[in-house]
Amino acid sequence: MAADSASTPSSNSAVSIAEQLEQLGAARKVALENTTYYDRIVKGVLPIIGPTAPIQLRRWGAEFLAESLATPVLATRDKENLTIAVLDTLKGLLDGAGEDAIVLKASISAAASAYPVAFRWIIHNSYHTESWEQMSAIKSRIFQIWDGAPAPVRLSCIKFAQRVVLAQTPSNGMEQKYNGLDVSLNMMTESHPLLDARQLEAEATGLLDRMLGVLQESSSDALLVDATINCLSILARTRPSTSNRILNTVLNFNPLKLANSPMTPKTKVLVRSLEKTTRMFLTHILRRDPGNQMAGRIQQYVERLTRSRAEIFDEAGRKRALADQATAAYGDAKRQKAETDIPQFSIPPLGPGPHSLAAVFTITNNPGLQAFDVTQLPDHLVSRISVRTLAGIDQKFLDFAISGIHDRLTSLYAAGAAAAAASQPAVINAATAPLGVEEDDDDDYEPDLTPAEDTEQILNKLDNAPPEEAIGSAADAGAALPLGPFTLPPPPTLDPETASKLSQAAAARVFGPLSSLKDPGTGTRRPKAGINRLAASSYDRDSWLTLITRLATRSTAGLDDGSDNSNTIVKAEKTGPSGMSLGDSIRELLFTYILEDWRRRIEIAVAWLCEEWYNDQLAKKSGMVGAGGLNYEKCALRLVDGFLSYITAQDKVLTRFLAEIPELSRPLLGKLKALCADPTTVQLALTSLLYLVMMRPPVREIALDTVAEIWTEYEDARPLAAKYLVKWRPGFIELQTRGAGGEVPPPTSNMAVAT
Amino acid sequence: MDTANGDAGSASTTQNGQREDDSNFKLRFCTVCASNQNRSMEGHLRLAQAHYPVISFGTGSLVRLPGPTITQPNVYKFNETSYDSIYRELDAKDPRLYRANGLLNMLGRNRDIKWGPERWQDWQVGLPRVKNETDQGRVGLEGGVPDIVITCEERCWDAVVDDLLNRGSPLNRSVHVINIDIKDNHQDASVGGSAIVDLADSLNRAAMEERERVGSAVFDAGGAGSRASFDERVPEVLGEWQERWPNLPATWTLSWF
Repeated sequence: MAADSASTPSSNSAVSIAEQLEQLGAARKVALENTTYYDRIVKGVLPIIGPTAPIQLRRWGAEFLAESLATPVLATRDKENLTIAVLDTLKGLLDGAGEDAIVLKASISAAASAYPVAFRWIIHNSYHTESWEQMSAIKSRIFQIWDGAPAPVRLSCIKFAQRVVLAQTPSNGMEQKYNGLDVSLNMMTESHPLLDARQLEAEATGLLDRMLGVLQESSSDALLVDATINCLSILARTRPSTSNRILNTVLNFNPLKLANSPMTPKTKVLVRSLEKTTRMFLTHILRRDPGNQMAGRIQQYVERLTRSRAEIFDEAGRKRALADQATAAYGDAKRQKAETDIPQFSIPPLGPGPHSLAAVFTITNNPGLQAFDVTQLPDHLVSRISVRTLAGIDQKFLDFAISGIHDRLTSLYAAGAAAAAASQPAVINAATAPLGVEEDDDDDYEPDLTPAEDTEQILNKLDNAPPEEAIGSAADAGAALPLGPFTLPPPPTLDPETASKLSQAAAARVFGPLSSLKDPGTGTRRPKAGINRLAASSYDRDSWLTLITRLATRSTAGLDDGSDNSNTIVKAEKTGPSGMSLGDSIRELLFTYILEDWRRRIEIAVAWLCEEWYNDQLAKKSGMVGAGGLNYEKCALRLVDGFLSYITAQDKVLTRFLAEIPELSRPLLGKLKALCADPTTVQLALTSLLYLVMMRPPVREIALDTVAEIWTEYEDARPLAAKYLVKWRPGFIELQTRGAGGEVPPPTSNMAVAT
Repeated sequence: MDTANGDAGSASTTQNGQREDDSNFKLRFCTVCASNQNRSMEGHLRLAQAHYPVISFGTGSLVRLPGPTITQPNVYKFNETSYDSIYRELDAKDPRLYRANGLLNMLGRNRDIKWGPERWQDWQVGLPRVKNETDQGRVGLEGGVPDIVITCEERCWDAVVDDLLNRGSPLNRSVHVINIDIKDNHQDASVGGSAIVDLADSLNRAAMEERERVGSAVFDAGGAGSRASFDERVPEVLGEWQERWPNLPATWTLSWF
């Protein structure tokens, strides 16, 4: 395989060059398959690819050297031998006057890989000056070629300079330890006979300036700028002495300068490239080196860049949006005349042909409103508007609209079923259905095993997905709503007893989360939300309890009265074999729940009773009281009965309970009398009543009556009761005693039993 | 995708993508999308059919494919799961669904192209690829270093460029990283595939012209447009390509392996 002379090109030698290339390719493949052959094969091809070889062989050879010296399969140590062996050939290739650009580019690339290896080698083998001299000669030759070379060669020169800077500056040890990236000035010993660390670092500083020159002279040569920026990252991150200089230069660089020139397709590519490359570099530094002292400046720069880019590039996007509106002939949405006679509306049945889902549910005739995409609104706004509207809407209109939509769906369903009989409509358009499921992980791509992505994101994506638009031609009404062919198997028939059991189970499940939600009492006191508090909005245990109480009192209001009288607000109790209604099941469970730990759950009891009371008021107002009657009184009595039997003298919560529940009645307060049968709780009962007398004027009379009854009925309670009566109902006792003929009347009933 | 795209690209490509292997110099390509399933694999196949050396990767953390509902994607690990095993699993789960949404069809195609999805971040650039004897597009990429990386989504381009910055460019090899925004569905992937082949052809033509010029002429000629080097002509070629494919916005940079 002797090299043919390049100076005598003939058809014969051309054939032999092709053959040689083929043989070289085969040899390269052997090296790729088995790395142990690298050494032998590289050394073997050196004579064939030297500076006097034909251009094709020189190109192949230079690229093969670049590949071999860069290969990750050999460790830096293994490359030493190889590197020392090729330096001579590399030097020869670089020295050739007027060398081919491809050969130069590859040779300099090979030299960039050789440099750290040779540098490391000379540090450890200072006696072997010859190879270091060769490397130094290569270095100065490359710096000589650099200016004025064709672009691809300059690219390689930039990269070579980067490797020199990397090797000749002190490292902070953050770089990966392979491919010579970790070769740095740290490896130098103070007393190296050949090298002077300060001199080397000075050279590196100079080289870095030369590299950065392309940014400073505001060059618009995107190729060189991109190439420079894209190899600065490792310097800025791992060579602290270069970091400030690099970042300052990049931050002073304006990648959008080109944007002022006329925007040819090529300029667009260049501007975009410069902008994105600069931004990627800076965000990369921000992310990988967040503690960088320039982080603030970088952040500002990136934000400013993003804004400027938006101004330059997004103009087209904005214009297109307007054009779309115009072509769709939606008219001028801003100047739509408002409809004055609102009640006059009708719901036209949909014509034949495909309709989007939105069209089916659109009942306005206003073209501007029809075109409005509700999904653009934030969710919380939508829910607020919906709630307001539902609260204020006239029932008649709502019914009218619902029946109108119902008719539309019925007709569409009929049309769809007919069409489905003829042909199966494609439920998913396989060609346009979005395929990749959106990922929300950032560019970091840390392999985490969280199973799915944010539901909301997916829904958002679905919302933006196109396939909801009308598909197909006008004739095919069924294609619009492919609801037709699929029917669920009918559920097993449900008799009232199973239904009731199931609903009980459902009600019981409502209480499930309470045990897992954290108890607010144990934590620090939460700040009071005040009057603007929105019920059940804090997503804690309290919220859930609010939900439960409302489920019990309001959920089925007006729904499950079997009778014909409409608008009944309080539900009628069905007392068939099915037993309790859903509301009562929940009431029952709530009652049990409170009594399980009534001292701590008295607040819940109060909240519940408030809800019951409110609901009763609504029922009274509407004049429709269900068969079950009002609930508040029943529940209150039951609760009081429930915990009175456990009460002790220390249970001040009773006072609080009575003070806070919304309404007090004689029977309710009457229950307190039972407490006076036990001498230990007399004081509690009477203090609670006194509190009511003092603090709740509306019930003062009832409370005093109860005290009076206590005075009358319970001997043991008389001293205390008398004390209150004297103060709040002066003359009562005198009246009583006088009426009884000067004697204190004996208690009429409920004689206190000594305990 | 509307008809504005695709006219120019199909000129040199026959119906099924097969064509004569007519040039001796080939740029080496690498296609990248999120899961190395749809867009990058369509590009992989089309480039391989056009006789370009090509490999492909995904930049996501996991391979994600649509599942029965939007919140239940099928998730697989990169580098450890073969297209064939995914195919068989989905075929066993719900053949009707996965045939209807085109997944089985896509996986069936992919398993004929290479063994399984590979993750960009785990790829060791320059590691010889001599064992992949059945991969399509393997010829010419034995050295494991492509000249051009084509990503199919801005996010993937960002991931690739950031990853290259992070690796610290140990190989000293320049690489053009080009993004073409392609929507992730079968139809757009197919259109995107044609666009990728069109771009590859245009780039390869420019690279061949550079190769055909021999010797110091290049050195002396300076900046004459037609004499410009391949690297310099990439933005220009991409700009012209963008005019032909206005609906596939492109981004480019020159980075380093």
